[in-house]
Amino acid sequence: MNRRPWKVVEERRAYWSMISPAIILYIFVFAFPIIISIVISLSNYAGGKMFGGQSWRITGFQQYVKLAGDPYFWLAMKNNIYIVLISVFGQLPLGLIFAYLIYRRIVKFGEFWQGILYMPAIISVIVIGIMWNIIFSPYGLIADVVNKSYAAGFSRQVEQIFAEAGGFQITDQVVKQLIAVSDPSALEIFAEPIEELKALLLAYSPDQFAVVKQDLVNLLARKWSAAFLAKRDVAMLPILFVVLWMWTGMYLILFLANMQKIDTGIVEAARIDGASEGQIIWRIMLPMLSGVVVNAAILCIAGSLNSFDLVFAMTGGGPARVTQLLSIYMYDRAFMGAPDYPLANAIALAIVIFSLVLIMLTKIVERRYGGRE
Amino acid sequence: MKKATSIMAVLLLLSATVAFAGGQGGEVKGAEPTVLTVLYYIDATQAGYAEDQAIWEKFSAENPDIKIEKEELFDQAFHEKVAAYVAAGTLPDLMYTWPSGRSTALHEQRLLKDLTPLLGKEFLSNFVPAAIDPSNQKSGYLAELPQSVTYTTVMYTNTKLLKDNGLAEPQMYADMKAMVPKLKAKGAQTLLMANKDTWVMQSCLFSTVTGRMLGDAWIDSAKAGDVDFTDQGFVDTLGFVDTMYKDGVLSRDTIQIAYGEGPALFAEGKAAFLVDGDWRQGAFLTDSSTGVALIDPARQKSEFAFRNFPAIPGEKNAGQVSAIVGVGFSVSASVPAGSAKEEAAVRWMKYYYSPEVLKIKLETGAFIPSRKGITSDKIEPFTQMMPEYYASINKTCYVLDGVLDVDVYTPLNNGLQEMGLGTKNPTQVAAEVQDAMKAWQAKQ
Repeated sequence: MNRRPWKVVEERRAYWSMISPAIILYIFVFAFPIIISIVISLSNYAGGKMFGGQSWRITGFQQYVKLAGDPYFWLAMKNNIYIVLISVFGQLPLGLIFAYLIYRRIVKFGEFWQGILYMPAIISVIVIGIMWNIIFSPYGLIADVVNKSYAAGFSRQVEQIFAEAGGFQITDQVVKQLIAVSDPSALEIFAEPIEELKALLLAYSPDQFAVVKQDLVNLLARKWSAAFLAKRDVAMLPILFVVLWMWTGMYLILFLANMQKIDTGIVEAARIDGASEGQIIWRIMLPMLSGVVVNAAILCIAGSLNSFDLVFAMTGGGPARVTQLLSIYMYDRAFMGAPDYPLANAIALAIVIFSLVLIMLTKIVERRYGGRE
Repeated sequence: MKKATSIMAVLLLLSATVAFAGGQGGEVKGAEPTVLTVLYYIDATQAGYAEDQAIWEKFSAENPDIKIEKEELFDQAFHEKVAAYVAAGTLPDLMYTWPSGRSTALHEQRLLKDLTPLLGKEFLSNFVPAAIDPSNQKSGYLAELPQSVTYTTVMYTNTKLLKDNGLAEPQMYADMKAMVPKLKAKGAQTLLMANKDTWVMQSCLFSTVTGRMLGDAWIDSAKAGDVDFTDQGFVDTLGFVDTMYKDGVLSRDTIQIAYGEGPALFAEGKAAFLVDGDWRQGAFLTDSSTGVALIDPARQKSEFAFRNFPAIPGEKNAGQVSAIVGVGFSVSASVPAGSAKEEAAVRWMKYYYSPEVLKIKLETGAFIPSRKGITSDKIEPFTQMMPEYYASINKTCYVLDGVLDVDVYTPLNNGLQEMGLGTKNPTQVAAEVQDAMKAWQAKQ
């Protein structure tokens, strides 16, 4: 029996009235900004009359050509790849292993370890960034601990030198011995090390031996320097460590929750048949969790390409841009100095395209190697 | 008929009364207050807003013949409104402007009056030289009277640390270099800068070094393409920064010191000198929420001082310091010359920039005034000491990121950091800056 026409109209009206709010929201909040971003990246928009007065027009793929030839863009891309790699091949395997250890009760106090490992994920990213920045600073925790150890060793050597000299004797021999055990870089402030150091030491009186020892430690002992962290590629290491430390706990919780859905009988049967823990992870857990692993990988990739706050708080993308990410580069071009909105939007689109490529790769890997849950 | 005539007569009488009720234009000159339209930049939620409003109300109370019609906006809304006024050709009579930057169009289109003849040399002599130097404004004349001047190079000096180690304050760079072993032996650096942020070295020291060794005219010539950044003069300027690292005056570790760490390290006595901008003195003051200061007010004057950077080898312009003038008020060029409106605007300007009003601004922490001699017992010694530093500087020079395009100063900023890391030398950095300048010139 045919439905009456007014009923069809009524149904359509109800249908559209229910989905229209979502469509309108989607268009204005998602689709419109994306389209505008693409249009701006293809134009010469420079902020209007107050910023130069150039009339707005479409200029084509100029910005993309500029990006392709920009060494800082490729440096930022490389740094983002490092973060993607540490996230996918660091956080996920570690999260899986920790989850397995807790799930199988191989470690005691599982709930305690869950809490400890997850805690960094709930602390403000900015606070973590600043904290680790201070830890790695030349006056931070690492420098303090390492320098105390260097100072103690150097102090013993100074005592030995003066003991062999028969007390607080400032002779050429003593000065040469002090220079021999000094950090070579510490001597660069002297044009004539032996003469200048001797003159400096002769200004002290014999009863000031303790002061002399401390002053020599300050002047000549080896010091932990964070300068090596400013070299390309090496500079990313502290950031990668913090990324690993911060987010592994989140994936631990995700994998643990899904492991608890697996029938324990399967695991026990495998143990009875003689399977090792490694074989259980590889042949039972991973195939059964493949969907979760893929989803987690997608989350990793999205989070890695989005990263801005942690790196901005830790290094600001510096020094000299060696730790710059695509998101920070985009922020610099959009908001620092004279804004270059077309270039910033081109970088945003590059991030989107890059993430789509990585997600497609993940899906291909899953189709080829994924098991059935 | 008679009734109709009466009604007509009444209506005529009423019309005549209404027509003459408004008075005659120009019948009594000055009977109506002179209206001054003002576009003001302020955030109603910021500290000191109530005191600021009281300043305007006091002026209105003391000047009943002037009616202020004020529009208050902040941030992007303010700039968009200015753009709208410019497009419509209806700028307000008085407005808040920048010396360049966001107000460039106003300067370039000469939409603002020259304040020098309006306010007079005698009035302007009360201000620090940098504030009234027309070359510090985009227009090339005094289009706005800066309420403050930002000196981007101040050498914060720990006089106690120097005295305790038998060291005198340095007059020349060589004096500073000679201090390095003695200070290092006591666990202190000579010169501290928080160079982890790329802009700090260029803004807070290199601009001053460039001004002293080359001068602003050289930078103008470089922008015009008459000289190159690869010329020996600029390479030597970069070379001085490199020398400071090699001499140990500036530690290479400063590249790893974040901007926020600098004041705390200096306050702890980790260095004899901290080079930073004048705004940094605020970091040492008492935090009103905790009552704690990085440097206790009781010690600020007795143990610290604000000094100019010592003489640099090979400098041509002794004592210059990089500075950028701040924001201030302007008078629209559309205000008729010699009119009551112009006179009202001048009266308001002289009121706002008077010692009484500027003292209120100083006490509320709004800014350190560019007018000389403004001080208050209610502020901490560091804030009192800064105007004395300003007054000691005779000539200022460019802050390079205020005059060069971002595409030009970015490789300069990065290059200065790379020199500090030891990964590039001055010649390489100069070449990169020159390449960036050529690319920028090609786009003009």
